[in-house]
Amino acid sequence: MNLISAELLKLRTTALWWIFAIILVPLWGLALGFNWLTMNAALSLSEADLEEAGLGDLERLVSGLYTSGQFSGVLLVLLLSAILVTSEFFHLTATSTFLTTPRRERVIIAKMVVAVIIAVVVWLFTTVLNLALSPIVLGTMDQPTYLGEPFVWQAIGLNGLAFVLWSLLGVGAGVLIRSQIGATITLSVVYVIGTQVLSVIFVVLSEFVWEPFMDLRVLVPTFASDLLISGPQLPDDPPRWVGGVILIGYAAVMSVIGTLVTKRRDIG
Amino acid sequence: MSRPNHAEISVEHLTKQYSKVRAVDDLSFTVHAGRVTGFLGPNGAGKTTTLRMVLGLVTPTSGTATIGGVRYVDLPDPIRHVGAILEASSAHRGRSARNHLRVICRAAGLPDRRADEVLEMVGLHTVGGRKFKGYSLGMKQRLGIAAAMLGDPRVLILDEPANGLDPEGIRWMRDLLKAFAAEGRAVLVSSHLLGEMQQLADDVVIIAAGRLIRQGPVSDVLGETAGVAKVRVRTPQAEQLSAALRDAQLEVAVQPDGSLQVLGAEPARVGNVAFTAGVELHELIGEAADLERVFLELTAGKAGAR
Repeated sequence: MNLISAELLKLRTTALWWIFAIILVPLWGLALGFNWLTMNAALSLSEADLEEAGLGDLERLVSGLYTSGQFSGVLLVLLLSAILVTSEFFHLTATSTFLTTPRRERVIIAKMVVAVIIAVVVWLFTTVLNLALSPIVLGTMDQPTYLGEPFVWQAIGLNGLAFVLWSLLGVGAGVLIRSQIGATITLSVVYVIGTQVLSVIFVVLSEFVWEPFMDLRVLVPTFASDLLISGPQLPDDPPRWVGGVILIGYAAVMSVIGTLVTKRRDIG
Repeated sequence: MSRPNHAEISVEHLTKQYSKVRAVDDLSFTVHAGRVTGFLGPNGAGKTTTLRMVLGLVTPTSGTATIGGVRYVDLPDPIRHVGAILEASSAHRGRSARNHLRVICRAAGLPDRRADEVLEMVGLHTVGGRKFKGYSLGMKQRLGIAAAMLGDPRVLILDEPANGLDPEGIRWMRDLLKAFAAEGRAVLVSSHLLGEMQQLADDVVIIAAGRLIRQGPVSDVLGETAGVAKVRVRTPQAEQLSAALRDAQLEVAVQPDGSLQVLGAEPARVGNVAFTAGVELHELIGEAADLERVFLELTAGKAGAR
């Protein structure tokens, strides 16, 4: 508990958290606006045209509205989680930290707990905003709130799970990459354009090398995340829980490797 | 625990092999309670690596380092036993000094008020709210000492603490460390400021190229080489005096600045030889053995041998 308290104090006593908070709010606003426009456009189409436009069904659109800010929120949580670790090396505070707590794995675990707390806070924040504003948005389009529908709550719950898993992945990545700039750039690139670029690679591989490669694209963390949150999009896609398991796997493997590396590494 | 002068830090056959360099090589020494031990060596001798191994930050290739018989990593709440200052610039730039100390308090289960107490102790209480990036090097050193004092430890380990301190700061640090040792605690302090160490240390551990050169009380280490007294003498009749001194069975060397260095003689003897030979003297200085010279003699040629 002492270590978690210390890590929370570290987070609270620098400017980083509120800089991230300031970035989050407009990005969430943009996401909500985008989802609003998408839905507006979609409602003018027929059911069949909806499918054709690649927008999925109404359920998917409403779920998207109630989980607005997920894309940017998860990215910020991911980066902040990584920086929890990398800043110790960037600001040379690792020495002080590990002198106070030479059992380094305890420090990493405390950072993971704090990362999960951050994830839950950001998720709660965006969820409260979404629950307040989405019914209004839906109302402007003469739609019901859908708040009685289980699928809305399932989407919100899975959204929270995604936040938590990505935060753990961030801590693991921070331990492994250690360089502040390296970690933030790597994570941003993989998160933002990873799905598209890697999907192309998998398509090419399955086309020209071996067809089952296409099934492996679920191993891309962002794809696994999409699968977890939105469910299978194509007939061949694996079930939803596979995405969750893969994300948990990434978080676990990176955390374990990262912790072992941190334990063995010479500091200073 | 209250027994004075028992070994607090015990380094035994400590070795650190990096891929090409053996930074620390079979090093053994002890640091006793109630004494200030100076840890001396040329740059790159392995001082910092040794201290980091003692503190569990660097893993030894072989050998052990213990504090009160226990490895640092096995100490429960280690900062209550050992205070360490390794580098001045080790706080987050955007965090205030007081919050930096509070973070350590939280992690070690110490009350937050300890942060204010140690700030007061090092004279930073009026600037505790200032961000670390606004601190001068001297203030950073004081903050480092404040952090080391948080747990009221019985062992203090400092790596080059005088770096960046002004003369007044150095005097302040010296008094602080002496007072600390006088309370029966152990102080291990590395430095390349040898003159400072002579005034501060009770014991010295001298290393070069990762190996132990000499360990013992300062007076003993000085005494070992005190037999080789040196006298520096300046005269307009250097050749005449050299001949006279050699006749008197003394070893003479002409220095680059034209003065003569006489080995194995007291100033009185040299003066007497000069007087007898009728040589005019402009300068006659007996060079007492000091730690600096002893250190240079002991480590000569060893720094580059790696």
